[in-house]
Amino acid sequence: MGDLLSNLSLGFGVALSLQNLFLAFLGCLVGTLIGVLPGVGPIATIAMLLPITFGFDPTGALIMLAGIYYGAQYGGSTTAILVNIPGEATSVVTALDGHEMARQGRAGVALGIAAIGSFFAGTVATLVIAALGAPLTKLALIFGPTEYFSLMVMGLVFAVVLARGSILKAIAMILVGVLLSTVGLDLETGEERMTFGLPFLSDGIDFAVLAMGIFGIAEIMRNLDHTEHRDVVRQAIGRLLPNKEDFKQSYKPVMRGTLIGAILGILPGNGAVLGPFASYTLEKKIAKDPRRFGRGAIEGVAGPESANNAGAQTSFIPLLTLGIPPNAVMALMVGAMTIHGIIPGPQVMTKNPTLFWGMIASMWVGNLMLLVINLPMIGLWVRLLKVPYRLLFPAILMFCCIGIYSINSLPTDVMFIALFGLVGYTLIKFGFEPAPMLLGFVLGKLMEENLRRALILSRGSLETFIERPVSAGLLAVAALLLIVALLPSIRKGRDEVFTE
Amino acid sequence: MPTPHEGSGISGRHGPVRAPQGIAGGILLIALAALALWLTRDLDQGTLNSMGPAMLPRWLAIGVGLSGLALIAFAFTREGEPLERWSLRGPFFIILAILAFAVTIRPFSFGGITIPGLGLLVAGPLAIIVGGYASPEARFRDLLILALSLTPFCMLLFGDLLNLPIPVFPQALAELFPADWSQKAVMRVTAAVLVAGAFVVFFTTRGSRKTTIDVADHSGRI
Amino acid sequence: MKKIALALAAVAGLAATGAQAQNYPSRPITMIVPFAAGGPTDVVARIVSDHMSRTLGQQIVIENVAGAGGTTGITRAAQSQPDGYTIMMGHMGTHGAAPALYPNLKYDPTKDFAPIGLAAGTPIVIVAKKDFPATDLKGFLEYLKTNGEKVNMAHAGVGSVSHSTGIFFNSVVKAKPTMVAYRGTGPALNDLMANTVDFMTDQIVNVAPQIQGGNIKAFAIATPERSPVLPNVPTTKEAGLEGYEVSAWNAVFAPKGTPADVVKKLNDALVKSLDDENTRKRLSDLGGVIPTAAERTPESLQKLVESEVARWTPVLKAAGATAE
Repeated sequence: MGDLLSNLSLGFGVALSLQNLFLAFLGCLVGTLIGVLPGVGPIATIAMLLPITFGFDPTGALIMLAGIYYGAQYGGSTTAILVNIPGEATSVVTALDGHEMARQGRAGVALGIAAIGSFFAGTVATLVIAALGAPLTKLALIFGPTEYFSLMVMGLVFAVVLARGSILKAIAMILVGVLLSTVGLDLETGEERMTFGLPFLSDGIDFAVLAMGIFGIAEIMRNLDHTEHRDVVRQAIGRLLPNKEDFKQSYKPVMRGTLIGAILGILPGNGAVLGPFASYTLEKKIAKDPRRFGRGAIEGVAGPESANNAGAQTSFIPLLTLGIPPNAVMALMVGAMTIHGIIPGPQVMTKNPTLFWGMIASMWVGNLMLLVINLPMIGLWVRLLKVPYRLLFPAILMFCCIGIYSINSLPTDVMFIALFGLVGYTLIKFGFEPAPMLLGFVLGKLMEENLRRALILSRGSLETFIERPVSAGLLAVAALLLIVALLPSIRKGRDEVFTE
Repeated sequence: MPTPHEGSGISGRHGPVRAPQGIAGGILLIALAALALWLTRDLDQGTLNSMGPAMLPRWLAIGVGLSGLALIAFAFTREGEPLERWSLRGPFFIILAILAFAVTIRPFSFGGITIPGLGLLVAGPLAIIVGGYASPEARFRDLLILALSLTPFCMLLFGDLLNLPIPVFPQALAELFPADWSQKAVMRVTAAVLVAGAFVVFFTTRGSRKTTIDVADHSGRI
Repeated sequence: MKKIALALAAVAGLAATGAQAQNYPSRPITMIVPFAAGGPTDVVARIVSDHMSRTLGQQIVIENVAGAGGTTGITRAAQSQPDGYTIMMGHMGTHGAAPALYPNLKYDPTKDFAPIGLAAGTPIVIVAKKDFPATDLKGFLEYLKTNGEKVNMAHAGVGSVSHSTGIFFNSVVKAKPTMVAYRGTGPALNDLMANTVDFMTDQIVNVAPQIQGGNIKAFAIATPERSPVLPNVPTTKEAGLEGYEVSAWNAVFAPKGTPADVVKKLNDALVKSLDDENTRKRLSDLGGVIPTAAERTPESLQKLVESEVARWTPVLKAAGATAE
């Protein structure tokens, strides 16, 4: 305990220096900005801003880059709520109920609760990292391919629970999502799969492209069909901040979400993406009236948003303590550290204590700044919805194009959002939901790779999934969840099978 | 018995089909499954010991196909949603706008045609104006002003402030300026010209609104 | 609208041909890095180009165009205007192993480029899980022979450096371990540290911190000399293995047809950057090997590319490794 206090005070000593405070602020501001812009992700921005940080000392540079990362997570939720475009896999869930709330004129409440929930989650996650970072590292090493596969299976079950309407359609969408994730060069053999011989498909479909197409562009096409939908957004603006009742409804989901997100964030194989989905599933299952979910339930924003931010924070653990980046942004942070002469690895904590603890302390500072930056902005964002839709949608369209282009500088990516937009529009017209498909897509790649890896390592024996205790436990939870999800509809009788 | 929706375009309420949406969805899924199976026909399935690239996609495709069949089967046995009306205008202009952006942002060649990279300066307004016509309420003047003000904003935001490597204007434009001007100076001047253009359009065409009639404006907007 | 577009097209086409070399560079230069930002090649590119920008008086902007083992970015760079405003950071994979791995490759590493110079070599290290029964390279090779397919070798995906160098290793020592693919070095290292897989070969920059931290063990480094970053790790030759010396080198290229004086200017800037104390320190902290004066010329880079293509093609073809 004494160690923790002295470490934290060392950290805050570093993070609260004038220069580092300024850099954290700058990072959070830029991060929020790029997060709000649809498509522009933290990866492209951090890569571009790297040269600017050459002038600072490594700690300051990393504080700023980390600020961009969680600022972007934060800003991404804003776009998901306001215009239904999830920029990252983790804000797909936020879009479900958050955008619905915005349509009901409760955009301010949704944004407010997202900001406050995230701040709480960030605070807890910072403490978790400071107190338990080193011992938790061992958790990362328990998870081998077998365990990951089982974790992903559990994630796909979440997707079934996530669905609003027909369970059969949800399962079909999940399968389509996993199928889409197998497009591209096969990792083991290097053979092309379902690429039509097109070179730009050989690395598979980019998540941002798919998400922007089937959510963002399809949403625009759908809104142009129904004049009444969007005008609901514009007419009633309502309260700007959550009130007592809202807090009462959301404080428990926030705490549960924080816990789930923090645990999943530690897993090195990008387990953090599961956090919001797991939180949403949990909230929907324990809610008195699950029917409210998908129709603007505040718990469906509060829980997942907290899980998202907690996971974003704790995903620094494998990076800081092991030097293993769990996702693409963290891989970029590795690059940033190496350029600044700090090779990430198990030695960072002992060799560069000021950097290590300074970064951890700055995470909390950053979260506070995000709250300060974002709460006053809510009014501004909500007012944005007052712009006539005939002018708003061409602007969104252009921002989408620029954002997608900036990811890989590929015009083909831009064309694909048009294609997926049409696909998404068709799906909506046929009564399919895009969210389970997106989750299937995100988890599909990880699932296939880990399945094949696990089977290679077990030399083809499927028993490996039950023999290993962690994996067996996860599969049992998945089976249980699936039964719980299917039971009510089966009980309702033949006529309504597969409709919730 | 649910009554048919108002304005449902295709009426599938006759005969044994009780959920037209289910039929359409089922057919879509089966087509998708067939496509996936056809695309993976040459790939090796492998064994559990060393799974080939085709194993998972093939089983997934079969799963998708079966879901499609089940959807069709259910469409005959229980009531479901009718097909919604499709509008073609929205998707058509949106797709056209995105494609216009994609082919003009950087040099693009397709078949024998090569389009030089025109950058954001051309691609941005193209996307806004073409895309704007997706709505029946589109007015050229408003879209033009929007394009002329949003494009310079994006040029400065992405090119100047965020430093993203996005082509901003055709190289030919830079050569019209003195050689010692930096890329950024050219960008800023171009942006200023566009904004000035927006103002000019705004003030010179102020009275000429009457030409467009808000046909589709039944949404109760002020 | 169409007319304006056509006119603009004509102007742009005319202007592109009239690029001038004497006041080069008059605008920022784009350096295409064919991998994701943050990876070893990206880091080398950023370190080297930082000082080059100062010499040239124009910013070198890094553009990451990742995909298909780096060949997407290199293809684009190879097809860009040869005016010196688009250059690229190629490496062992894109300019050595690619022709064997990608039968449909749209460029020829030996013919379609104007080489600028070698930037850095990153040595390959043979590493194993820390519980591995062997203690030195001899014991390791012995173990590989007796246990054959029972040994699991990790690599970071077809086309990656660890994959190519791993196949090469297997062909040199005549081993047939079971190959386990990962998406990138990070997850592969994670499973190596968790004792899930047995061994792999990868670039020093990726594995050095884990070796120093005692999470994995290193048997040998595939260079003629030991690395100052890992002074206790013997070279393959010292450890008794002949014929396995590989480095994932990084080098700057321009598209074919770039004017000779532009190439010279870029090469001068590169050489100056490699002489800079700061650049040298940053590169060698990563375990990078800074090329000698003789290795920095365009001519020697051309020779290196030719010898690398000749070395990798038979090895990879024999192993049946292709990414169509």
